[in-house]
Amino acid sequence: MITEGTYPHQFGGVSVWCDQIIRGMPGYEFQLVALVATGAEPVVWDLPESVGSTVEIALWGTPPTGPRSGRHSGFPSRLVRRLIESVLDTSAGAQNRFGEVMRQLFDYAQQGNLSAALASGKAVKLLTEAWQDRWPNTAETRPTVQDAVTAMQLVEHCLRPLSHPPVQADVVHVATNGLGVLPALTAKWRHGTPIIVSEHGIYLREQYLHSPKLPYRWPVKTFYLGFLRQLCALAYREAETITPCNIYNRRWEERLGADPSRIRTVYNGVDPANFPLFEDEPEVPTISWAGRIDPIKDLETLLQAFGIVHQELPQARLRLFGSPPKGRESYLERCKALAAELGISEAVAWEGHTSKVRDAYHAGSVVALSSVSEGFPYSLIEAMTCGRTCVATDVGGCTEAVGDTGLVVPPGSPARFAEACLTLLRDDDLRHRLAAAARARALEFFTIDGAIGRFDEIYSFLAAGQALPVAPTEPDGEDLPVDRPEDQPEDQPEDQRDGALPIEAAV
Amino acid sequence: MSASISSALPPSVAQQNGNGSRPQRTAVLRAEAPKPRDVEELCEKFAPVCESAVHPLQIAGALEFDGWSDQAVRKRYGVSDVFALAEEMYRRVPRRPAEPAPQPDPWQVSKWRPALHGLLYGAPTVCFAAAAGLLVGRGVLSVMIVALLSSWALSQALAYLGYVRLGQGVPVQARRVLLAGLGAGLVGVLVAMDLVSVAVPVYKPVFIFGLGLGSYMLGATVLLVLGAERLLLAALAPGIVGATVFLLLGRPESLEHVAWAVLATTPLLALGLAVAQTSRGAELRRNKVKRPGSKPTRLVTAADLRAALPSAGWGLVAGGLLVFPVAVEMPGHGGVNTGALLASLPLALSMGAAEWMLVWFRRHTQRLLRKTSKLRVFALQTRLMLIAALLQYLAATLLLTAAVTAIATYSGLVQPHWSAVPQVAAYMALGCSMFVSLLLQGFQSRIFPLAACAAALALEIAYRDLWVLGQILVCTALLAVLTGYAAYVLGSAARHAC
Repeated sequence: MITEGTYPHQFGGVSVWCDQIIRGMPGYEFQLVALVATGAEPVVWDLPESVGSTVEIALWGTPPTGPRSGRHSGFPSRLVRRLIESVLDTSAGAQNRFGEVMRQLFDYAQQGNLSAALASGKAVKLLTEAWQDRWPNTAETRPTVQDAVTAMQLVEHCLRPLSHPPVQADVVHVATNGLGVLPALTAKWRHGTPIIVSEHGIYLREQYLHSPKLPYRWPVKTFYLGFLRQLCALAYREAETITPCNIYNRRWEERLGADPSRIRTVYNGVDPANFPLFEDEPEVPTISWAGRIDPIKDLETLLQAFGIVHQELPQARLRLFGSPPKGRESYLERCKALAAELGISEAVAWEGHTSKVRDAYHAGSVVALSSVSEGFPYSLIEAMTCGRTCVATDVGGCTEAVGDTGLVVPPGSPARFAEACLTLLRDDDLRHRLAAAARARALEFFTIDGAIGRFDEIYSFLAAGQALPVAPTEPDGEDLPVDRPEDQPEDQPEDQRDGALPIEAAV
Repeated sequence: MSASISSALPPSVAQQNGNGSRPQRTAVLRAEAPKPRDVEELCEKFAPVCESAVHPLQIAGALEFDGWSDQAVRKRYGVSDVFALAEEMYRRVPRRPAEPAPQPDPWQVSKWRPALHGLLYGAPTVCFAAAAGLLVGRGVLSVMIVALLSSWALSQALAYLGYVRLGQGVPVQARRVLLAGLGAGLVGVLVAMDLVSVAVPVYKPVFIFGLGLGSYMLGATVLLVLGAERLLLAALAPGIVGATVFLLLGRPESLEHVAWAVLATTPLLALGLAVAQTSRGAELRRNKVKRPGSKPTRLVTAADLRAALPSAGWGLVAGGLLVFPVAVEMPGHGGVNTGALLASLPLALSMGAAEWMLVWFRRHTQRLLRKTSKLRVFALQTRLMLIAALLQYLAATLLLTAAVTAIATYSGLVQPHWSAVPQVAAYMALGCSMFVSLLLQGFQSRIFPLAACAAALALEIAYRDLWVLGQILVCTALLAVLTGYAAYVLGSAARHAC
């Protein structure tokens, strides 16, 4: 299994998932390959017995030197030029060329010093020449010498995994798309090992969203993100199987060239033993929320929605379980100020971090998730397993998780969110019915055993050198009822969605 | 994200949309910002994203992040999906990317720090002068040379290891490496000096002075790596004050023992403070983390030590070049020539100027990197800056030499004579060579300066009969070679990546 900046050095959703998979399949021996920043990061997870070895590949710090005496002693001028061209070229043909270049770079890296070549003045010169040839417009965005140096440096760091010896395994499972596919590709090229690429959020999309924060000029971003785009697309093409954690992710994967027949959605799962059914409900109507206090969770919408709920149901409470990440506490302060401004401070409880997250679900009559971006959120399927109905925003895999057992509204719309909450809080019968349905749905589709069973099946097929049977349950939720709400413009009357959900009229 | 929910809701917009009679409701409703009616309006709303997008997919990501789904855009804008809408927006909005916010300048240092460093490097020279009475008798030359060279070499290696660990962002590890290195270095110096005293009979106080010198060098290195200049100054203070008073009083014999005792406090303080700094807050017993299949991380690996070798070698060679003129002028075992020692003082002080010029060069080349888009222009201007930096360093060193000579003459320590000019010239060329070597080392070029300086030292020793003339010739040649190499290497922009 290959990870990038997550397991076993960091906590978080992807790490939980890795740990679940490895522990859930003790019959397999796992070799961990972890891409890390410097190699000085401590291991924070207790590794299961079935992890035979851990290899750390540091992307920063001292570069790998490669063998002393290699056949390739000179500067691979043609190769670097082709790399640069295939990254700068956005046409379809460039994708294939990029794949060939990667493979040749791997051959070179196994015999010569690729890092030194990419960090050399000659490589910088090639990039400045390529830029000069094809720079589209004005002098304003013209790349500087600094840009060329930075861009080549970034790519040098990214390509360091090519210099490491390929892993030997029956199957390579990459936890996320991105740089983690490089070690997988080396194993495929050297030993023919089949690759599984899993995906939680869409790696490339996250890189794009993060890019305004990068301290680089536009030419560098274009080159760096162009490289990552080509790499992600290459991974989709080279992977034997792609296992997104929700159907929603497929759109990006197919857009980037993934063969739809190779995509198998494997939902995240929870262990029902940790999330027992809660028969009782809080005494006053309560909305609970659990997660990291972060702008991506859009608590502002939740607070504003609760402002409306509180006006209609003055006894209603909102309980928020979670804490902000270190150094980013300002968002919490902003949210508290908003609550005060809305006059709901008395009714909102900031519970802080809780070690037993199920208590958060127990605390609510309804569990809310107002995020603007999600993969396949554990908090929804955990709450559902506990027998709680959810109000969620239509982002990522939320709709697939909730299905017809809760209410999904467009993100960033407090009024719609409040309406959904009020519907559920006021109608005990509906709420109880949906809660029971939520637990049933979670136990049917989102258990850890279910996820592990699917991976077990995929592993054994691929390890035996067989193709996976045609997916029986793929596109759009034939066995997975999904109610996807639509954006409702204010100038249109009530939407005319088809479907037979009993709560339709209320939303 | 400019398109994120929070920033799309300026309070002024909320005020306009609200109904004044129901303040609570006003606040609640402010999130319902009107949705753009057509793609044109959408482009306006997403202008910052579109203008700096590197690919249509980036706009698609931003649209989704804002809550747009395929169905929503199909219904509202009549396009097939978010991707198609993003492509349309990418086509409509021309690229006008915003420049990134200026980054903090990593070469921003206090003006006083290099000056303080120069003082710290130069000040111990006064102690030598005060201890001249001690440094007589058999074995002085050998002990002093061995003590100086071994502690220089070891402290250079130690500084390298410490800085590497600091650069990895693990200060606790850095402190542990420095503490361990301090101990190992002390043992190293002691062993080297013991070996000498086996070969030549050594007068005990000289041995102790040598040991003090070694301890001071290592302790001072640790404090400098940790950025504790003030503590080092505190350690130096008693020695310097004592030595200065002793010298000003004309070295009265009755106070000799008192003076030496005061001098001894400086290495002891430096060592004590270095130990205190490195063990402070450092978790000396490591938590062992289970990591199957991978070796437990070691404090210092063989590869680390190999990497530190060029630094140790450079310390040895640079020390040799600096000590050589003082050593050759010591006829027999007559004692240390105070005049020659004082001649090396401006050079020690000038290392502060060297540090300042290194930073100056860095800042200017970094600015040039960001400004230029042609490699040829960059190479040419960088070379000019190299010459400018070298000339500025030389000017500063000449000024320092003049100042030191004036003070030393005034206080009656030396009687300057025109015959000393060649010696000063040789020192100038050596100082400039050291400066260029340091510059190259800062740009990850450690082997070439080491080899060039080693060759120069070998030549000086081989042609020691030529005295000062030999030194002038060798040091000038060294300077020429190093400068030529630096001009060649630093012309490449890739070297300036930081």
